[in-house]
Amino acid sequence: MTAPLLEARGVTKRFPGVVALKDVRFDVRAGEIHALCGENGAGKSTLIKLLSGVHPHGSYEGELFVDGKIAEFRGVGDAQTAGIAAIAQELALVPALSVAENVRLGDWPVRAGLVDWDEARRDARQWLGRLGLDVDPDLPVERLGAGQRQLVEIAKALRKNARVLILDEPTAALAEAEARRLMDLVRALRDQGIGIVYISHRLEEIFDLADRVTVLRDGSTVATRSAAQATREVLIRDMVGREITDLFPRRASHPGPVRLEARGLAVRGKGGVRELSDVSFSVRAGEVLGIGGLMGAGRTELVMHLFGAWGERVGGELLLDGTPLAAAATWDALAAGLALVTEDRRRHGLIIDQSVGFNLSLSTLKSLNRGGLIDAHAEAELNERDRVDLRIKTPTLESRVGGLSGGNQQKVLVGRARRSAPKVLLLDEPTRGVDVGAKVEIYELINRLTDKGHAVILVSSELPELIGMSDRIVMMRSGRVVREFTRAQATPESLIAAALGHKETA
Amino acid sequence: MNASSDKIAARDLSSALALGAIVAVFAWLSPDFLGARNLSMLAIELSTTAILALGMFCVILPGHIDLSAGSGVGLIGGVAAVLITNAGWPAPLAMLAAAALALLIWNLMGRVIVAEKMPAFIITLGGLLVFKGLFWLVIRNATVPISPAGAPNILARLTTTYLPPALGWALAAAAAAFLLGSWWRRVRRAKATGSAYDAETGFLKAFLGAQAAALFVAVVNGFRGVPLPAVLLAVSAFVVVILTEHTAFGRRLYAIGGNEEAALLAGINVDQTVVLAFALMGAAVAITGFMQTAYAGASTTTVGDLMELDAVAACVIGGTSLKGGRGTARGVLFGALIMATLLNGMTLLAVSPEIKYIARGLVLSLAVWLDTRLSR
Repeated sequence: MTAPLLEARGVTKRFPGVVALKDVRFDVRAGEIHALCGENGAGKSTLIKLLSGVHPHGSYEGELFVDGKIAEFRGVGDAQTAGIAAIAQELALVPALSVAENVRLGDWPVRAGLVDWDEARRDARQWLGRLGLDVDPDLPVERLGAGQRQLVEIAKALRKNARVLILDEPTAALAEAEARRLMDLVRALRDQGIGIVYISHRLEEIFDLADRVTVLRDGSTVATRSAAQATREVLIRDMVGREITDLFPRRASHPGPVRLEARGLAVRGKGGVRELSDVSFSVRAGEVLGIGGLMGAGRTELVMHLFGAWGERVGGELLLDGTPLAAAATWDALAAGLALVTEDRRRHGLIIDQSVGFNLSLSTLKSLNRGGLIDAHAEAELNERDRVDLRIKTPTLESRVGGLSGGNQQKVLVGRARRSAPKVLLLDEPTRGVDVGAKVEIYELINRLTDKGHAVILVSSELPELIGMSDRIVMMRSGRVVREFTRAQATPESLIAAALGHKETA
Repeated sequence: MNASSDKIAARDLSSALALGAIVAVFAWLSPDFLGARNLSMLAIELSTTAILALGMFCVILPGHIDLSAGSGVGLIGGVAAVLITNAGWPAPLAMLAAAALALLIWNLMGRVIVAEKMPAFIITLGGLLVFKGLFWLVIRNATVPISPAGAPNILARLTTTYLPPALGWALAAAAAAFLLGSWWRRVRRAKATGSAYDAETGFLKAFLGAQAAALFVAVVNGFRGVPLPAVLLAVSAFVVVILTEHTAFGRRLYAIGGNEEAALLAGINVDQTVVLAFALMGAAVAITGFMQTAYAGASTTTVGDLMELDAVAACVIGGTSLKGGRGTARGVLFGALIMATLLNGMTLLAVSPEIKYIARGLVLSLAVWLDTRLSR
């Protein structure tokens, strides 16, 4: 049997105060997809950084092997020369530069001392063509969708003769259809003999794709299994170290009166283009309304608009408890009884350099007011109560929130939104990039909130989550609500059909 | 947690060492440097630099900047002087009018910046030039005394009044009580909520602060007593520390500087908060304008020159991030102390203006370099 393309043997990586990886063993062979799973903080990122040369030789114990020979990467450049390319969650593209410029970034074709743009364009088009992406190479990358950007990044790696491709949550920012296309491409690359390390929180993808699965927990390898052995129950048990019998513990609800109702909303976005129209729905107290749809269907825009953060309303009306809600700004919406947990927690949610406590109380500073000053004692007590109640794993409440794992960061945001006691809680992809254990805790929190009579609007790209957690679901497409489903009607097939739509004119 | 607090400790220590080195060099070169008279002068000079820097801190914290502050200092002082000397207004009324003007101008600049989404750098750069021109128009390129025929008024007294020794001691005691009191409150809160707080280091800092206040009063009482500007600085510092650390407004400033988009989506009225920060800057410009003009004895074309840069430098040396969201008012005070000490010492040694500029520039660059090294 030939040696693996890339192998890590007995690798240990220490950071001040923590051991991030303990005696980890991992390898990837030519023409296989090897999935890497584990909760946030399990050591996946550290292992990728080690494999791709970010952590250079000498900063860890153990050895890396490329084609069976010891490899001592001094940096990312060495790893790329050896044919190893990592594609991170946050893509390393320059948004304002063109597709061609990005594909050839740092390696521009030169003729007579000048960059040969014709060659760059031709080259970019050829590489993207191989990935089935047909875009104008002069288009700035910022004008591409998330899925297309991902392909540009992969083209960039393949052009550098990558034999091992490490994909870190490649579908996290993609909607179902785009994600499927990407997974098809990943399979095609495997069939061409490329070794693929695939990291994802979506178990369905792993069952779909992987030839082998390795689970990391607390920095150690739990097991490497063949795809046939890796069942859902086994993987979840490996990851969390306990059995989760019911991933979606939505309890039957007893809906109360209608809280929020939209009647034929029409909203204009930036540049005066009408981006939402005919949006009607209602959500009752104690109910979870799911909102599904493809990327770009207008789901995020809708919840942002409800919260007064986006768009200009040009038609329809919005009623909160039967009275018109004219929230034109986020602080009005907050005061009226809405709260929003945004999709991108680092960019739109957290003040990342501030403490956990700072972030928890940010939306409810007014209630802590005592004679013009913040009542520090009351604040500390509330924060501590939330830390315990939401099981936020943090060294202290004064610790930097950016240092927490994704799941715990998300709990901080949900905690902040809950603190304002909202009548309607808007959750936009609340479990994106969150590990299985924290996901279940967030689901349980949703149950507790609806039990207390809060209404929840849940936007999700994951169909199992949408079906599992919603009492009713509305599907959106091209800025419109196309269909409403009861829990009993909703099947993955029917939802996807609604999201994709038929050949009617929009 | 430990690593980051170690870094903060290293930062504090390095800036304390830098100040110590500057003081040692000046004390060695000039025996007068540590004398009661010079330290009193230093206290007055520190007050103007530091009050303007505290205002600057309020606009840098949410990620903006004010390059027009120095021109504003000249303009507002000039308006007051012209109203008193040329128009014959009573000094308090003239100062009130000039201060109202400052608040109005800075409020407007803040509004333009948030409403038109213009970079503060550009708007206030425009302000720098416009206010300088207005300033020279107002004083007609002449020297306008702060009181007609040198009769003492409230403006002139701003920088010539000294507190009687007993009052100075009382103030030192009040400062010590405040520092130790807030330390004690922190300890009690940490105990009640079970959070981590390094009580010993906190006590050491409060104790050193109290000691410094006592030492300062002891020394300046050897000259004429505590200068009034030092009291104004203490009050301003108290106000800014309370505002930034203990009010919702302060939290919002940090949140906006840390991530404006996230702050907005957390339900914070970003625009209103930023406009208020600029209004505070306007207040700082007014107070500094009166003090700086009074210290010069008259409004002349050079009052306030480059003071905006000293204020920015004090913020940065004190650990404020120009991107916003990071820094403390205490750090800014320390940064202002370094800048003021440097200027005062060089003036005492009759260093030529050329060298003064170069030295200020080098110290600023060095401080920021050290900061980026240590915060890595």
